[in-house]
Amino acid sequence: MAMFSQNPTMNGPNYSFSDTPRAAAPEGAREHRFDPYTDNGGSTLAIAGADFTIMAGDTRLTSGYSINSRYHPKVFKIGGTTADQSDATIALSVVGFAADGEALKERLDAICKMYQYRHGKPMSVKACAQRLSTVLYQKRFFPYYAYAILGGLDEEGKGAVYSYDPVGSYEREQCRAGGAAASLIMPFLDNQVNFKNQYIPGSGEGHALQERERKPLSRNEVETLVKDAFDGAVERHIEVGDGLQMMIITKDGIQEVTLPLKRD
Amino acid sequence: MDRLKKGEVNLGTSIMAVTFKDGVILGADSRTTTGAFIANRVTDKLTRVHDTIWCCRSGSAADTQAVADIVQYQLGFFAMTRGKPPTTQTAASIFQEICYSNKDRLSAGLIIAGWDERHGGQVYSIPLGGSLHKQPYAIGGSGSTYIYGFCDSNWKEGMEEADAVAFVKEALKEAIKWDGSSGGVIRMVVLTAKGADRHLYLPDTDYKVRHAV
Amino acid sequence: MPGFDFSNYNRNAALHARGVPLPKATSTGTTIVGCIYDGGVVIAADTRATSGPIVADKNCEKLHYISPNIWCAGAGTAADTEFTTALISSQLELHSLSTGRKPRVVTCMTLLKQHLFRYQGYIGAYLVVAGVDPTGTHLFTVHAHGSTDKLPYVTMGSGSLAAMSVFETQWRPNLTQEDAVKLCSDAILSGIFNDLGSGSNVDVAIITKEKTTLKRNYIKPNERTQKLKSYKFARGTTNVLNEKIIHKADLGNFVTVEEISVTGPGDKMEVDA
Repeated sequence: MAMFSQNPTMNGPNYSFSDTPRAAAPEGAREHRFDPYTDNGGSTLAIAGADFTIMAGDTRLTSGYSINSRYHPKVFKIGGTTADQSDATIALSVVGFAADGEALKERLDAICKMYQYRHGKPMSVKACAQRLSTVLYQKRFFPYYAYAILGGLDEEGKGAVYSYDPVGSYEREQCRAGGAAASLIMPFLDNQVNFKNQYIPGSGEGHALQERERKPLSRNEVETLVKDAFDGAVERHIEVGDGLQMMIITKDGIQEVTLPLKRD
Repeated sequence: MDRLKKGEVNLGTSIMAVTFKDGVILGADSRTTTGAFIANRVTDKLTRVHDTIWCCRSGSAADTQAVADIVQYQLGFFAMTRGKPPTTQTAASIFQEICYSNKDRLSAGLIIAGWDERHGGQVYSIPLGGSLHKQPYAIGGSGSTYIYGFCDSNWKEGMEEADAVAFVKEALKEAIKWDGSSGGVIRMVVLTAKGADRHLYLPDTDYKVRHAV
Repeated sequence: MPGFDFSNYNRNAALHARGVPLPKATSTGTTIVGCIYDGGVVIAADTRATSGPIVADKNCEKLHYISPNIWCAGAGTAADTEFTTALISSQLELHSLSTGRKPRVVTCMTLLKQHLFRYQGYIGAYLVVAGVDPTGTHLFTVHAHGSTDKLPYVTMGSGSLAAMSVFETQWRPNLTQEDAVKLCSDAILSGIFNDLGSGSNVDVAIITKEKTTLKRNYIKPNERTQKLKSYKFARGTTNVLNEKIIHKADLGNFVTVEEISVTGPGDKMEVDA
């Protein structure tokens, strides 16, 4: 084979891509270590409206090809003062590793409650969002393996959605899908919520064609989109299914709805 | 079990063969596994390669089936061209030839036992590397580790058939009891001048009753 | 050289050594089952094909034709089950023609195991072989490495545990055809609902001495739910940046066009009785 590179450190076939050769483990050697993470599948979704926010997630919990639970909620009310969180104003959704999601939710809930006791007022979503980022970053080198989305109403009463990566990078968005089927749902949302790639027919030629104008969606429209998004995800992603849990956050509180999804 | 290829069907087994007064007895459990899944709970690991020459298979199911199929063909051909049945030693030699020359590709632990006119009952063992050992009795498979002591203490030369059957059965019961990858029913084949006689013992009756095969 | 083309082997091995992953084959992370009854044999399969966690095909066919009286259910790599069964089907047809006898199930099983053993597990076909021949009713499993088992009821694929639990609790000797079909479809349903690799519909094939009945989509427990909203876009929603129209007359500039007479060239060949 006359196709070896002259570079001694890259002594292999000289292809145009530049990834360094991996250090191969010796033959027969096996790394034996406890793996603290599992991917429990599932998907979440949040959309902010003019005066409401909808948070949603499927209720299936998986590991590998097995279903561990058909009803394991991924969306939680945060910072309420009663046992059933009836007066909560913020919701948190978590996907990824279920145990870390649970732990993260408990941490944030306790933090919000402490804030309430110390300051005599509930935490704003903005403050809660910043605090969640800190909580995640504190575990920078042993992260919570969880993709979190925080939803509520901002100081002006507008819907607010904050999305996070596992180590605390966050931003406020109009809508976000997370978890296993995020790559299936997100393009649908871009198109249907932010009207991406939609133009006004006959409004111009080529690049002059006008984009369809963004307008806030009604609560009913958003609920319809959420249901259709999950019905679509269930069809094509094996880790999504069983049930759809939705939380609708308005100035009157948080309303929870659960609907059935396909179970195969 | 590193010798097995990924996802391969495994005969994590208890097998044995003993000589007795009138011939030989082969015995085996019946469990076949793929990982933790029992792919077959009533496997027949006692395989005929000629009328009164049989083998016990352990290791990879695919490898041992392939080897046994080849040997069965060769012995059939041998018997037809020579006009007389092959000896157990001939069978064992063919097995060894295959196992030794393909030692880097096979995971097969075999016990060959047979009865022939010239030598009566004989037992040969071919472990992993492809060596050949003639023995009065042989044990093999993952479950055999638990019954070396039992067999050493209870083995007697030239047993009566009933005693030999009881010996094999008791040994395999212990192997099945202690080895997680052995289980199911106990199968035996008694090879004598009269031909092959199959035994079957079920766990439902604590391996006490001989059932129809 | 007949068989597989290995001309890209060295290139792919080099790429793989540098961390480029192998292309993902469509796997039928599957539930397949088979069950013998008095008078014949039933095999069944789900219809989901996956590529990783994504459903590649919601209604694929996993019951493969071997000969009129022998059928195969396939799990593992989709392409391997498809081509292996097609290859052995062809060999069996030729064998049948040259011997003047009906194909036997053991012959099919032996051809399959010897083919798969030769490829040492690299052909990822896991098969349930079932059929009725002049020697009787038969049911086998064939694993990718070439091992075979003969049993009255069998399951394979990622849903094999779920399906086997149904057989181990409900199976009894001397089943009728209706019993066997019910048992097999229940086993598949168990796989569909409890194993993520399996889903969608149940396919069943019933093989008797007289005939084979293929019941495609025998049970459809997972019909697609109706979308709540219409996602039809008004014409002109998508931006057209440039446009090029090729007329039929100019098609010859791009492809070779050959006119074929509608009345075919003479006699058809007799292929089957």
